[in-house]
Amino acid sequence: MNLVAMPILLPLLTAIAALLLRADTLRRGIVIASCAFQVIVALALVILTARQGPIALSIGDWAPPFGIVLVADLLSSIMVALAGIISLASIVYGYLELPCRLEHPLRIPLTQFLMVGLCQSFLTGDLFNLFVAFEVMLICSYALLTLEADDWDIKQAFPYLAINAVGSMIFLAAVAFAYGIFGTLNFAEISQRAAGMSDDPRVLILAVLLLGVFGIKAGLFPLYFWLPNSYPILSTPLAALFGGMLTKVGVYVLLRVFGTVLPQDLSGLHTVLAWLGGVTMLLGVIGAVSRNFVRGILSFHILSQIGYMVLAIGFFSPYAIAAAIFYNIHNNLVKSSLFLVGGTISLLNGTDDLKRSANLWRATPLLGVAFLLLGLSLAGLPPLSGFWGKLMIVQDGLRQGEYVLIFVALFTSIFTLLSMMKIWNASFWTQDASVPVRIHDRRWIGLTAVTCTMALLTVAVTIFAGPLIELSHQASEEIFKRETYIRAVLQLKADRGGVVDQAVSVPFEAVSDPIDGTSNPWLPEVAR
Amino acid sequence: MLLETAILAGLLFGFGIYQVLQRSFVRILIGFVLLSNGANLVILAMSGDPKGKDSPILAEGTGPHVDPLPQALILTAIVIGFGLLSYMVVLLYRIFLDYRTTNAADLFEEPLKEAKPEEPH
Repeated sequence: MNLVAMPILLPLLTAIAALLLRADTLRRGIVIASCAFQVIVALALVILTARQGPIALSIGDWAPPFGIVLVADLLSSIMVALAGIISLASIVYGYLELPCRLEHPLRIPLTQFLMVGLCQSFLTGDLFNLFVAFEVMLICSYALLTLEADDWDIKQAFPYLAINAVGSMIFLAAVAFAYGIFGTLNFAEISQRAAGMSDDPRVLILAVLLLGVFGIKAGLFPLYFWLPNSYPILSTPLAALFGGMLTKVGVYVLLRVFGTVLPQDLSGLHTVLAWLGGVTMLLGVIGAVSRNFVRGILSFHILSQIGYMVLAIGFFSPYAIAAAIFYNIHNNLVKSSLFLVGGTISLLNGTDDLKRSANLWRATPLLGVAFLLLGLSLAGLPPLSGFWGKLMIVQDGLRQGEYVLIFVALFTSIFTLLSMMKIWNASFWTQDASVPVRIHDRRWIGLTAVTCTMALLTVAVTIFAGPLIELSHQASEEIFKRETYIRAVLQLKADRGGVVDQAVSVPFEAVSDPIDGTSNPWLPEVAR
Repeated sequence: MLLETAILAGLLFGFGIYQVLQRSFVRILIGFVLLSNGANLVILAMSGDPKGKDSPILAEGTGPHVDPLPQALILTAIVIGFGLLSYMVVLLYRIFLDYRTTNAADLFEEPLKEAKPEEPH
């Protein structure tokens, strides 16, 4: 089904077109039309996968073990749809913020190439292709981070680049190990062959390597320091895109790799994952309370929200995974909208330093209402969307008896509320005659309109929480059961006349060298 | 053969990480070169011992072939590693131009004396 390739091809074509065209209103129109179309395609994909189950496509009609497969299951299509919505909002916001002649001409092409990498990492069904998609995404993110950075800020890009580059090299080595152990890089086939190998030390080492790598990309506990320093140097629309989607890719891949690919009884590693999530959320929220400017606070909050999702993945029950997916839907929208609110605050007050901002409630109550909705939703106050995700995570934690972690999670929520109220008090509620509000700068009307639309979208998530939670349950079932995913991929192989593995797993000794017949665990099976 | 490759890859990773953790920009760059070569070597080792096997060109009368897939993977990985490295060179050069230093530790030193006057109480 060729629709699966569309979310990758559309931004690619848009990026190339944007490189060739001059940066004027015509280009803006084309880009917005394309982004809107990407959202429609992604939503169609969600509806289709929700009805039919996973859809697989072999690129260039090469059969799965040698060719690359794209697989859209419900989780990937939900993520693609979220990425589309957030990129549309961020591009519209960027257009309203800066006139054509002030905008950097490379910003739009790079954002679209970033979307190529994002959608490819969501849709790919192949471990090496995942590496390539990560690199496409990361190289664009390095470029966007430094594109408009000034001389003082540019140093913050270096730790981001360094930690991610080391992570990529370890990822590459882990891909090689996976090929060595399983003789394939296809998710579905690895999943089949790994099913009975959970007590094999090599699988455990591979799992730990992958956990480390994706932990770096997601901003998990020991290696998170690069994130809260590098994101604030981005301009507002890009910060919304990065904060909303980029670290969530790490969460998505953790879900995919631990849910669909690796054996499901690695319970020790899942416990480690849960605790890493707990520590990350605690340190993230403490960092957020310590910061005094809006983007800094929000960047630290990314960490604490990542902590929530990873905690849910660590609990590793169908219910918890569904909670993680729903939380992801809620958080991507809320987080990027909050970055947009932060940008509007700094436009109106001329700064996003909380000490020098005030008077906004009187100037623009609508923005205040949007901020309150988003901030309280992030903290998880009922009945807003954040509450339902947190409720599900807490319920599952209590069922599993993880009282310490649940305590940490609730504690984090209170501190989230505290730091949101800090922004509210300083920017909106305080009255200070010495602080000017630049209400004559008419751009704020458009920016507030975009922000309010996003806020309305999160209200919609609240209202339709029921159906969305059901959708998350369906996606988590798909991850847990695996059969539909594997069948969709192997069907492609069978169509091309390939031999489909019937055995669930390959025992340790089965891989032997054809030359001298001795057991050689390093030799992949496909070689023969 | 495989043992030697494993030791070499381990050494490359070890030295690479060590160099990345140094302060000098040039050492950091060399560290990344070592790391990416180490990772490529690991991939190469996955095609197994090449002893007694022909190169993967299918022709009459050739025996068992070396697994060609890791070689294709390395080709991609080399290109990506090269792109990453060239970006890093440019970034570090730009930082050098802005800060007039090639020492990563100098970049993140807190300017203690400048910070104090900002707080009146």
